Amino acid sequence: MLLQQILNGTVSGAIYALFALGFTLIFGVQKLLNLAHGAIFMAGAFIAYYATAQGLPFWFALLLATIATGAISVVVDFVAFRQLRKSGHAEFAAIVTSIGVDLILMNIAQQVSNTKVLSFPFGTFPVKFFSFWGMRISLLQLTILGLVLVLVLALAYYINRTSFGRQVRAVSSNEHASALLGISAAAVYRQTFFIAGALAGLAGVLIGLSFNSIHFMMGEPFLLQAFVVVVIGGLGSLQGAVVAAILIGIVQSLTIAYLSSELSTAIIFALLFVTLLFFPNGLFGRAGNYAGGSRR
Amino acid sequence: MMSFYYSYQPLIDFFLIAVGLGYSQQLALRAGVFSIATAGFSALGAYATAILVTRYGVPVPAAILVSAVVGMAVSYVLSVPLARLRGAFQAIATLAFVQVVIALLLYFESFTGGAIGISGIPRVMNTGWLLLAVLVTIYVIWSINRTSVGRVFNALRQDDSVAASLGVPIKSYYALAFVLSGLIGAVFGALRSLYVFNIEPVDFGFHAMVASLTVVVLGGRNTLLGPIAGALIMAILPELARPLAENRGILNGVILILVITFLPNGVGDELVYWLRRRLRRAPKTMSKRKEGADVVAAD
Repeated sequence: MLLQQILNGTVSGAIYALFALGFTLIFGVQKLLNLAHGAIFMAGAFIAYYATAQGLPFWFALLLATIATGAISVVVDFVAFRQLRKSGHAEFAAIVTSIGVDLILMNIAQQVSNTKVLSFPFGTFPVKFFSFWGMRISLLQLTILGLVLVLVLALAYYINRTSFGRQVRAVSSNEHASALLGISAAAVYRQTFFIAGALAGLAGVLIGLSFNSIHFMMGEPFLLQAFVVVVIGGLGSLQGAVVAAILIGIVQSLTIAYLSSELSTAIIFALLFVTLLFFPNGLFGRAGNYAGGSRR
Repeated sequence: MMSFYYSYQPLIDFFLIAVGLGYSQQLALRAGVFSIATAGFSALGAYATAILVTRYGVPVPAAILVSAVVGMAVSYVLSVPLARLRGAFQAIATLAFVQVVIALLLYFESFTGGAIGISGIPRVMNTGWLLLAVLVTIYVIWSINRTSVGRVFNALRQDDSVAASLGVPIKSYYALAFVLSGLIGAVFGALRSLYVFNIEPVDFGFHAMVASLTVVVLGGRNTLLGPIAGALIMAILPELARPLAENRGILNGVILILVITFLPNGVGDELVYWLRRRLRRAPKTMSKRKEGADVVAAD
């Protein structure tokens, strides 16, 4: 029972990681909180649902949703963030503009779905269980774990080993200096927003599939969780985000199983507060990203 | 005039509550504390008053006083860890505070009524009392602005290391701004609970947090006009968008984006700065979007 709960927690933690990776990427590169990230996540689930409802195969719907949410995220950057980067108050203003985008996307989704809770038709993904050491794991859970592992490794390779990844890191540490070296900051922002959106959309499809419920407000709790992941993992630290997300998934499934679901929220956010106090860098953050450092 | 008042009375009352919560939010922001804890303070104030009045029969003024004390005490305790953080991290920490408050309100069901909340709160508030509360708040903040405390708050927002180098005990002033913010937030939370008959934890969740932040960012973070202008926009927008029926959210979103993109200081602040420039008739060359405008506002 305990091991089973830990396993389930790991799987949901892996999906949280997909969501939080994009959030921490934008936060790490631009120091902006993108509150529209939850709505983009929701859009992924919606696109995949309507694509399968049109009779498209599921793998194609998944791919379509991933690419479409990446594109939506780039549009969000263009509409809500591009202008603000030029003015001095982006930190406050970005919160409001991204809430604006959030409202627009949620309103569209509410209209499209008539405020109903949608779910993928039974058998969209083959229902199959494997048993080992007294635990049960479904084919879906296994696929999710594999997919997340591959994507996280690919992203880590991309950021740490390729020329583009070096540009991302350069822009995140000093935009002006990297512009002098001929790096286009705008292109870097576009690409980070595309990756972040695509990961969020994919997470939306996987959550919609494993919890079997898709509705226009589904992004909000995940957005709140992403804050916790970003802080516990450390600002802009990708491996930190993955570890923190899985940790939160496990804590959550254990508290829900043994205590209560309301208490689980309280414990997770208390955990966030304690981390901010005693490890302001997060568990994996570097000293340069110190949370108590200068505002400018 | 009177018929206008009667047909829009609830709108006016909620506008006044939004202005009050806006001042709570603004006080923290203008002292450089990126707090979004106002929703949490108003939840504490609302529940303290509601529980005291409905369960223990405490007279209303005493209950509001207790709410104010609770708000100040909690915000003081919270200000100690908050002083160690900066910028977006303060926002995330205060967000965590609000989430913990709401989760606990849901958990201690026997005391707080859980998800159903508390109902049957006597409705003793009306437009007059709310207006009085807002006016008192404005007077208090206006008086603060005229003393050195107001100047210290502005200095903290613009550059806290400079303030520290000039001998300002910055932690105490951060704490003072945050306690005032907690006080105003808790009092207006209490007034709100005495107006709406029943309260539940959802009233104080993510949406409440976003609402009071939006009021201040839209209206302006530095001038007294800011929260009034912001709350006015947020009150009028849904009315204007009524013909659009279900597409109201889209219009709200578009207006939020446009206002912030083109008036980054907020409507109220930009108006005040513009009036000041006009009144002085001095051609100002400094950029109005940079901190130079703050210096104009700080006198």
